[in-house]
Amino acid sequence: MNRRIEKNRAKPAAPAQRDKFSQRAWREQHLYSLFSSLGRLAARPIATALTLAVLSLALALPLLFWLLLDNARGLGGQVEDARAISVFLKPDIDIAAANRFAEHLRGDAQVGSVVVKPPEEGLEEFRSRAGFADALKVLHYNPLPTLLVISPRATAATDASAKLFAQLRGNPAVDLVQYDAQWRQRLSAILELGERGAAVFAALLALAALLVIGNTVRLDIAGRAEEIAVMQLLGADDGFVRRPFLYTGLWYGMLAGVMSLMLIAIVEWFLAAPLAALTASYDHRFAVHALSLQAMSGALAASVVLGWLGALIAASRHIALGQPK
Amino acid sequence: MITFDRVSKRYASGHEALNELSFELAAGEMAFLTGHSGAGKSTLLKLVALLERPSRGHISVNGQNLTQVRRRGVPRVRRGIGMVFQDHRLLIDRSVFDNVALPLVIAGTAREEVGKRVRAALDKVGLLKYEASQPATLSAGEQQRVGIARAIVAKPAVLIADEPTGNLDPQLAGEVMALFGEFQQVGTTVLVASHDLPLVKRMGKRVLVLDHGKLLDDFRP
Repeated sequence: MNRRIEKNRAKPAAPAQRDKFSQRAWREQHLYSLFSSLGRLAARPIATALTLAVLSLALALPLLFWLLLDNARGLGGQVEDARAISVFLKPDIDIAAANRFAEHLRGDAQVGSVVVKPPEEGLEEFRSRAGFADALKVLHYNPLPTLLVISPRATAATDASAKLFAQLRGNPAVDLVQYDAQWRQRLSAILELGERGAAVFAALLALAALLVIGNTVRLDIAGRAEEIAVMQLLGADDGFVRRPFLYTGLWYGMLAGVMSLMLIAIVEWFLAAPLAALTASYDHRFAVHALSLQAMSGALAASVVLGWLGALIAASRHIALGQPK
Repeated sequence: MITFDRVSKRYASGHEALNELSFELAAGEMAFLTGHSGAGKSTLLKLVALLERPSRGHISVNGQNLTQVRRRGVPRVRRGIGMVFQDHRLLIDRSVFDNVALPLVIAGTAREEVGKRVRAALDKVGLLKYEASQPATLSAGEQQRVGIARAIVAKPAVLIADEPTGNLDPQLAGEVMALFGEFQQVGTTVLVASHDLPLVKRMGKRVLVLDHGKLLDDFRP
């Protein structure tokens, strides 16, 4: 009962006209806070630059790490038909025997398809690759064995492939069996580990960024304690007092995000020439990509949210406690 | 307009600042609060502005029972009260105009309205020409008048002042007190704490005398 009376009394009579004014005033207040907080940052250029440097490093490091992993994943994806098993036959096995062996393998339930690559075909493939043509000229004979490329049946499980792999290795006609899926699995496990590591790394550095922003805003609040107290005496609510600090955090996040992206662009530029040389030497069989626009905007958004959140935590903690004296 | 009903205030330190204090100040009335230092004048004003809460008793300001106001409701109550401090509490890094505009900005008043009202308030305290100045460049009396302009710019129904002339020489003090009298004439309820009894008596308004947290006397000279 009493509570209801308080509510009714507390609400001022607000005609529509006043509401419209208030909304505009509210927007004006936000705009004012947005630019005045930027002005405050600019008023202490060295302190701001140092804070931003720490923040942008904390953001750039996990981004760079992630970029490296993303590129490594791209390389792994370029290996086609990873489940294929390459069987190199002994040199004394001729093409007719190889065909018979292939026919025998096709009868196996675990085998999907078998492609026979005679030594001439292998030699041709090598010739087409840069750098090998000259080397092959000095050879007077074809040193390559016959190769069988076996694709396990698509439904076969990984352990079935492994069993097939063991069977083939035991065959007397077989010289060497290469099972691509094995190293492929290892690579993907390494990448998975790297990705988890990057996530942990990013989370820790995000926490550090949060603490840096929180602490900076806390110092800012301490430096403006008198102003905050006066505002509270004049009837400012927590939202009003907190607002400029939240915008400060927002600016820190945005500027640090832009700086970290610039840092990454510099690293990319710095590495571009040697990377180009490296890919050229591999005949452009792989490509290295820079940070995508999507990743950049995501990183920037995350950085802005971090800045705002750090400021919100600091402001909520230190302003709620500070009743005016 | 301001009602104290058997209000006691005991601080955490055990000091009893107010003891079963009751009085009523009608709307548009002006009163002085006097007594030696430590008599409870500042505590009384702090209770009105919700800077402190009473230990016992009820306080009503502007028709609102302050006991029922919770933390989130405090800013709204304060916006309805103009406050003047002995040390004026102006923000030294802002112009006179911005200082006076602060209550309006906090209340969310539209910008053109802010300009009009701030100039009207500065005009009333005779400082219109200083609107662009920094508070630090003004004299003590002028600073206090800026503080008063800030207190009345949002047209509060209640104006309270804690030793507003404490730092001023007698002539300036008289001018500042006369200013409070003018606000009462336009309908504002005014409560001024002051230990300057001769000045208070010259004003010819109601006087509440506090002693050790109790109302010792309530008279009109």
